[in-house]
Amino acid sequence: MRRFDYHRAETLEHASRLLTELGDDTFLFNGGTDLLVEIRERLRRVRNVVDIKQIPGLSDITYNETRGLTFGALVTVGRLENLSLVRQRYPNLRSALASLGSIQVRNRATVVGNICRASPSADTIPPLVADGAFVHIYSRTNMRVVPICEFFTGPGRTVLAKGEIVTGITVPPAGDNTGKAYLKHGRRKAMELSTVGVAVSLAMDDGVCSDIRIALGAVGATVLRAPQAEAMLRGTRLDAEAVRSAADKAMEECTPISNVRASADYRRDMVGVLTGRAIKQALETFA
Amino acid sequence: MNMTTPIEQREFKIVGKSVKRDDVLEKVTGEAQYTGDIKLPGMLHGKIKRAAIAHARIKSIDVSKALAYPGVKAVLTHETVPRVLHYGSPHPRSASCTKDQYILDHKVRFWGEGVAAVAAISEEIADEALDLIEVEYEALPGVFEPEDAVQLGAPLIHEVGPGGNLVLDPVRVNRGDIDKGFAEADFVLEGTFAGGRPHPAYMEPNVCVADWDGSNKLTFWTSTQTSFMVRGILAEVLGLPLTKVRVLVDHMGGGFGAKQDLFQHEFLCALLAKETRRPVKMEFTRHETFVAGRSRHPCKIWLKQGFKNDGTLVARDMKLVYDSGAYGSHGPGVTIVGTTAATSLYRCENVRLEGRCVYTNTPINGAFRGYGVVQSYYALDIQMDEAAERLGMDPAELKLKNVVRAGDIAPSGHPIIGHGLEICLKHGIDVLDWTTLRGRDRTPDPKRPHIRKGWGIGCEMHGSSAYPGIKEQGNATVKVNEDGTVTLLTGAAGLGTGAHTALAQIVAEELGVRFEDVGVIHGDTDVVPWDIGAFASHTTYLVGTAAKMAAEKVRAAVLARAAMKLQVSAEEIDLSEGKVFLIAEPDRSMTVSEAMGPSRGIPAANIVANGTYEPTKSYSFAAHFTEVDIDTETGIVEVKRVVPVHDVGRVIHPIAAQGQIEGGIQQGIGHTLTEDYVIDKKTGRSLNAGLVDYKMPLSMDMPDIETIILEAAPDPGGPWGAKGVGEDPIIAIGPSIANAIHDAIGVRFHHYPITPEDILKALREKGA
Ligand SMILES: Cc1cc2nc3c(=O)[nH]c(=O)nc-3n(C[C@H](O)[C@H](O)[C@H](O)COP(=O)(O)OP(=O)(O)OC[C@H]3O[C@@H](n4cnc5c(N)ncnc54)[C@H](O)[C@@H]3O)c2cc1C
Repeated sequence: MRRFDYHRAETLEHASRLLTELGDDTFLFNGGTDLLVEIRERLRRVRNVVDIKQIPGLSDITYNETRGLTFGALVTVGRLENLSLVRQRYPNLRSALASLGSIQVRNRATVVGNICRASPSADTIPPLVADGAFVHIYSRTNMRVVPICEFFTGPGRTVLAKGEIVTGITVPPAGDNTGKAYLKHGRRKAMELSTVGVAVSLAMDDGVCSDIRIALGAVGATVLRAPQAEAMLRGTRLDAEAVRSAADKAMEECTPISNVRASADYRRDMVGVLTGRAIKQALETFA
Repeated sequence: MNMTTPIEQREFKIVGKSVKRDDVLEKVTGEAQYTGDIKLPGMLHGKIKRAAIAHARIKSIDVSKALAYPGVKAVLTHETVPRVLHYGSPHPRSASCTKDQYILDHKVRFWGEGVAAVAAISEEIADEALDLIEVEYEALPGVFEPEDAVQLGAPLIHEVGPGGNLVLDPVRVNRGDIDKGFAEADFVLEGTFAGGRPHPAYMEPNVCVADWDGSNKLTFWTSTQTSFMVRGILAEVLGLPLTKVRVLVDHMGGGFGAKQDLFQHEFLCALLAKETRRPVKMEFTRHETFVAGRSRHPCKIWLKQGFKNDGTLVARDMKLVYDSGAYGSHGPGVTIVGTTAATSLYRCENVRLEGRCVYTNTPINGAFRGYGVVQSYYALDIQMDEAAERLGMDPAELKLKNVVRAGDIAPSGHPIIGHGLEICLKHGIDVLDWTTLRGRDRTPDPKRPHIRKGWGIGCEMHGSSAYPGIKEQGNATVKVNEDGTVTLLTGAAGLGTGAHTALAQIVAEELGVRFEDVGVIHGDTDVVPWDIGAFASHTTYLVGTAAKMAAEKVRAAVLARAAMKLQVSAEEIDLSEGKVFLIAEPDRSMTVSEAMGPSRGIPAANIVANGTYEPTKSYSFAAHFTEVDIDTETGIVEVKRVVPVHDVGRVIHPIAAQGQIEGGIQQGIGHTLTEDYVIDKKTGRSLNAGLVDYKMPLSMDMPDIETIILEAAPDPGGPWGAKGVGEDPIIAIGPSIANAIHDAIGVRFHHYPITPEDILKALREKGA
């Protein structure tokens, strides 16, 4: 492993200052489950890490019916996974959380770390995109809130400017008429990066789909929405035929690559299969 | 039945019981010392600079910047290490090996090969210094597939050997009359088969520590299955007598066969320590265990067999091509064993086999559990299933008809002992009520209409010991201490299989003492008797017999001593559970401690005996019955249930034997469905040298395994009839899965791994 210097930030302001002062090869150190692997495998050149785990106020989880679910940057995947609120209201997010790595990894990894790494295959991103989450960003001059689908600019790239820190994420409230699902496709059942991940979040009004969002993971430079497939489904009763055509459309809308995990064609096929299955599963909420 | 020596029958006190392993407490508390735990005062850390090119001549290497880097103590290149041509797999007395390796060469033969080594005061500094070494290459055209390597005019990877990129001359086996066989056949099946490149991915990466003392003696700790081979070849290459090289290995985190080569880093570590006069440690990263470790030989097989309409096999014609990678390593052994294995399993009188092993510019393939047989039996067993289909017969029935039986000539040239395979098959058929299983559930579950179920059978046999390729020898020394406890000295490595526990059980049983009273000393070449290494499923069979022989001698000496003290004749007394007693008068007894200790002016006894055993070979057998679920939309194959029925002769430690079987099945599921170390066919670069993208099944992926171990065909060559179990389970599982896939979806696959993409593609072609 390459050498690096460790800095512990006491406050957001301190962390932000360290990020700007210490130069380009400085990275925030949250759970470290991505960062340390990247250093070790020499995927990223890192001179300094700034540990944010002692900064107060970043570990809270709150929920209310108007704002929804908000959690801080230090909230681990394991903590959220085990909340009954998440299990009941956000089954898509919960399924992504429960599929991430292993119990050991989940006890260390954070959701904010997962989105900041901005991997196209990150598991928590598709449900957050499908649910229309917001990202809270701190900088020393101002705070901003960015819709999650605008947060990513490419594989491993985000809108974060130098010195900016994500402080938390807000997921809008989940109404009683909503159904959600996340399906992950991999080569084995645990400790697996997804080959394809599909999240669905839909709302039904009197048997008719009033809203639906489909988010596709690992089939593009960032997690993608499938807007045309969504449009085909809004206003329908989500019967088998409609779902099948929309799933076919989603296959057209994704832009997968071939690599050692799977070929582009296979990934595209799986987008079709998983989109259909995810919608079906989301509808089971109403059954 | 051809049983040369009758097998002793007796009531066992220790053998056959799952006694508590001697290393359990140490391991679960983290106290067990592995090579990687060693820290010596002043110890340096070594790292290897690896080539990012698959085939090249080194024009120049400039190490000046690396040498000047603060903390760097030494840098070695091909210009500064001894140029000694040596074997990669230094099996003593091995049938055929080509010396084709230098410690460092001016040529690079595969992507990831070491070209220089650095020792520095920390691992990080050594690692950083690697980037400062400047190597100028003259690129050479590379060959990455055996079929390209054997083309006329293909670039030659080695100057030595038979030429044409062959590792050894083709291995040819002929029995009977092949033409006559095919002439008698009612129908002929012909097919090509291909196996991937699974990697053993042992938990403990390769690691070693070298330390030279003031008398110029090298002490060398290394994670190896073959410490005496390491000693021998290090001494040879470094020009030292064996008294000046001491190899130590305590606990190991697995090896699966791959840790029986002499690795480049082992030489370099010793040389860096010599150069710096300080201890040096070298430890592979996980990435390095892939590129610089050893994997299974990819293999292409052409198989043509003739059958009679009653299912009799009358002719077998087979050609196998194993891909050795850039060096010979175990290529010759694997080719010989994998090819000759195809004389057997299913009886056939007319056989013609040809095995080749070919160099390519890819990472080195070596020994790995199943040693060439995984590949050849995959083809044999699948084609047998196809024959059954063609005949409209149940594959179980056809296999039962053709499996080897007692008296048939085994690949080793010896008659098979016992109807082991037949009994395993029959047992499984009965237990599962087999005839009701296949094709059942053809109508899918309405709740999961995309799931298809299938069952398949795979058969295997595998030898304990590497005879006749290697004339083996097992050694053991047993000492009785004056308090009645016993010390066994053995060179057998402890890979983590529980071998030392089994050996201690054998000694305790034979000698008549408690299991807890036997201590095992192992892994120090200066202390323990010479050992051939832990491989070929032979430790319990070979060293177990040697230990039993030594214990038998020691027992006689203890009885003689006790007889003297009890003033009776040795024939009148017996020894059991640490007590010597009069057979006619069991109350008149003395403990082994009393017999051994000093008394009435008699000094304590010194009883030591050696056992040396030179076996031929025995065969273990298994039939695996496997159920799969196939998701026809995603192509994912899930192994649901495996009933492995094994004959391993006398079982010494049932839980350990079961552990071997379950572990073999896990690895076998891996290479059949998800594991493949992928090399880019254009550049020779590794595409998944790490655990992120090399996917072994984990606990969540494991099926229900209902292991059945039979003691159907004990072999007089092993202790009380014990045979090997290490390699067997990885062989039968593969074809059982492939055959189950066919049962489920009606598609034949002739390769592994069978990926979800392969399944979907085949289903589409079939128009399902
Ligand atoms: C064995 C293993 C298995 C894994 N399996 C999965 C899996 O199944 N699915 C999956 O999606 N991922 C997986 N991962 C990846 C990783 O665990 C997740 O991405 C995790 O959520 C990262 O969180 P972290 O807190 O550890 O991030 P860190 O490693 O600490 O940080 C990740 C990146 O985000 C930046 N960062 C962290 N916090 C902030 C912040 N507050 N503001 C701005 N930037 C920040 C860091 O500088 C760094 O660049 C796995 C990793 C391992 C080691």
